[in-house]
Amino acid sequence: MDPLLVVDDLHVEFRTDDGVVRAVNGLSYMVDRRETVAILGESGSGKSVSAQAIMGLIASPPGFITKGSVRFEGRELLTMAEDERRKVRGADIAMVFQDALSALNPVFSVGWQISEMFRKHRGASKKEAKKSAVELMELVEIPDATNRYRSFPHEFSGGMRQRVMIAMALALDPDVLIADEPTTALDVTVQAQVMQLLENVQAEFGMGLVLITHDLGVVAEQADRVVVMYAGRAMEKGTIDEIFDQPHHPYTEGLMNSIPRLDDLNERLNPIRGNPPDLLRIPSGCAFRPRCPYQQPDCAEVEPTLEFVGDSGRSTACHHWRDAFGE
Amino acid sequence: MSEPILEVANLVKHFPVTKGVLRRTVGQVQAVDGVSFDVARGETVGLVGESGCGKSTTARTVLGLEKATSGSVRFLGRELVGADMSDVRAARRDMQVVFQDPYASLNPRMTVNNIIAEAWHIHPGVVDESKHRTKVQELLEVVGLNPNYVNRYPHQFSGGQRQRIGIARALALEPTLIIADEPVSALDVSVQAQVVNLLEDLQNELGLSYLFIAHDLSVVRHISDRVAVMYLGKIVEFGAGADVYESPAHPYTKALLSAVPVPASRKHVRGERIMLKGDVPSPSNPPGGCRFHTRCWKVADICRTDEPPLEEITPGHQVACHYPETPVEIGV
Ligand SMILES: Nc1ncnc2c1ncn2[C@@H]1O[C@H](COP(=O)(O)OP(=O)(O)OP(=O)(O)O)[C@@H](O)[C@H]1O
Ligand SMILES: Nc1ncnc2c1ncn2[C@@H]1O[C@H](COP(=O)(O)OP(=O)(O)OP(=O)(O)O)[C@@H](O)[C@H]1O
Ligand SMILES: [Mg+2]
Ligand SMILES: [Mg+2]
Repeated sequence: MDPLLVVDDLHVEFRTDDGVVRAVNGLSYMVDRRETVAILGESGSGKSVSAQAIMGLIASPPGFITKGSVRFEGRELLTMAEDERRKVRGADIAMVFQDALSALNPVFSVGWQISEMFRKHRGASKKEAKKSAVELMELVEIPDATNRYRSFPHEFSGGMRQRVMIAMALALDPDVLIADEPTTALDVTVQAQVMQLLENVQAEFGMGLVLITHDLGVVAEQADRVVVMYAGRAMEKGTIDEIFDQPHHPYTEGLMNSIPRLDDLNERLNPIRGNPPDLLRIPSGCAFRPRCPYQQPDCAEVEPTLEFVGDSGRSTACHHWRDAFGE
Repeated sequence: MSEPILEVANLVKHFPVTKGVLRRTVGQVQAVDGVSFDVARGETVGLVGESGCGKSTTARTVLGLEKATSGSVRFLGRELVGADMSDVRAARRDMQVVFQDPYASLNPRMTVNNIIAEAWHIHPGVVDESKHRTKVQELLEVVGLNPNYVNRYPHQFSGGQRQRIGIARALALEPTLIIADEPVSALDVSVQAQVVNLLEDLQNELGLSYLFIAHDLSVVRHISDRVAVMYLGKIVEFGAGADVYESPAHPYTKALLSAVPVPASRKHVRGERIMLKGDVPSPSNPPGGCRFHTRCWKVADICRTDEPPLEEITPGHQVACHYPETPVEIGV
């Protein structure tokens, strides 16, 4: 059987007045049913753009997918006609957007907006659509769903609005759910509720989950595998235990050292030196080179490609991982 | 710890809720409702709590940017609530602020030189006009920026660099206290650590005190000597970092800490997660009695009627709860 979703050597650039912004530069990963893959990276590393490319939502111009492939159950999406693509969106692959909290239309009731999914995509009658919407609202644990159906977005808290966005993404029973920073705008106690909800619906529906986040804690608690992104590239891929216990890329190691931990006190933090890259001027060779404590002359010349480390499937894109991290 | 430089007592800040064209007052947002804490010289006090609990309003009222509804703010021995504008302005020299958003808090049309030197025009006599430029360059060096950048504009810097400019501006008047409202929240983790280290270095070199506001509990734990936890306009727990984090006495503190996702592998043993139900109630209509009682799993009758005062349960560890957790001995 074909894997559920395969992203292969994806390249996305934006041709702007200032120059070409190379947002995604050869990203590859795959997700299977019941699996959670985290895309971890700092601001501007290309997480959202790569997700928009999978969804077929890159406005062109200025955006161009210059290379690569995205396959859903073996079918190539990037070359698919737009009307077919539209059927994939929502029903096969759905997405919860990063700015979800502002994505709801303020002039329609929350319930109406959810039920629209059923009317528009499933041709359901008003009555059927309403029934399904209320069921979905119950599924995402919105209290008193029958009455809250008529509420407007501004009457909902941030956490409840995020539940509504998740409900809309689940409406057509997708096989893959891409959640872009689903809890970043939420407080920790509400974040914990929403992450639990995602876990529950995944257990129930068995979909593959692509979790986009910059939060190492969320990654550690939620994901099975991680893709660490930097400057539009995957720097390292592995399981949670591999990435957190034995990072094999200098950037991953730097990230781990940067975060303060609740249980590790008064130690001075170890930041990564320098600043994140300017995507108009990505350094030659390895994009992380100017900030890397292990850099060697060859890092400026040849861009490292992902190389397997051991035989568990983990991989790292560093010329010198053996010297830096041992076998 | 040495003597307190800032003493805040029973601070209240209510915002009127108005309705209709006549803007009739129909209620009050009880943003800050009787908050007391102090900051000692050279100390960092962290203020944590979820969105809307009143952290920024506390900061803004202490700074005199909002007029207190009631209560007292004593800074370096002087009462600021109800004081003359000139006294407040004089105090403001010693009390500076760093804001969350390094993009919005710097005027995009001013050069770095003018941004930092602006305070010397407001408070003449601190630095002689002829020395402004060299002093700006010194400050840039202190915060780890290239002193040749004086003529650049904010958009020519990264987020972390802009936050350094904001810190340099706060240092210009050699303050005693810096109130930092979410100073690293907008920064990437790799850069956030640079700014946290900078703040710690500056404290060691200059003996600064910080009131450090953030919603990231790990960052607050890292940087603070003492931590105050706010919920719906009130401080529910206040004490040494070790007390509050390792032996939380208030159920809300316990739940908050347990909700923080742990950035470690699956081998790392995690504590039990306390899942709070529902959302934080509205500060314009807070629950009576203990404000946390609607979400508390230990709620009893008294919690619905009587508001628990903030009281010491062990030396230096205060909690506002009728049924606090028993403190555990903390190894040093
Ligand atoms: N329409 C566009 N035109 C030009 N550049 C763009 C456009 N959309 C995105 N970019 C650029 O592409 C890069 C990657 O952006 P992306 O939104 O994927 O980052 P991200 O990893 O999701 O970051 P964040 O954590 O801040 O959400 C950024 O430098 C961004 O400025
Ligand atoms: N000028 C104002 N007028 C009316 N209400 C206000 C005003 N400023 C703040 N509030 C309200 O007071 C409460 C406390 O807000 P505050 O900004 O102090 O919270 P906070 O703890 O800083 O939250 P955050 O973590 O989101 O920054 C909120 O309910 C807010 O809506
Ligand atoms: Mg994004
Ligand atoms: Mg605030």
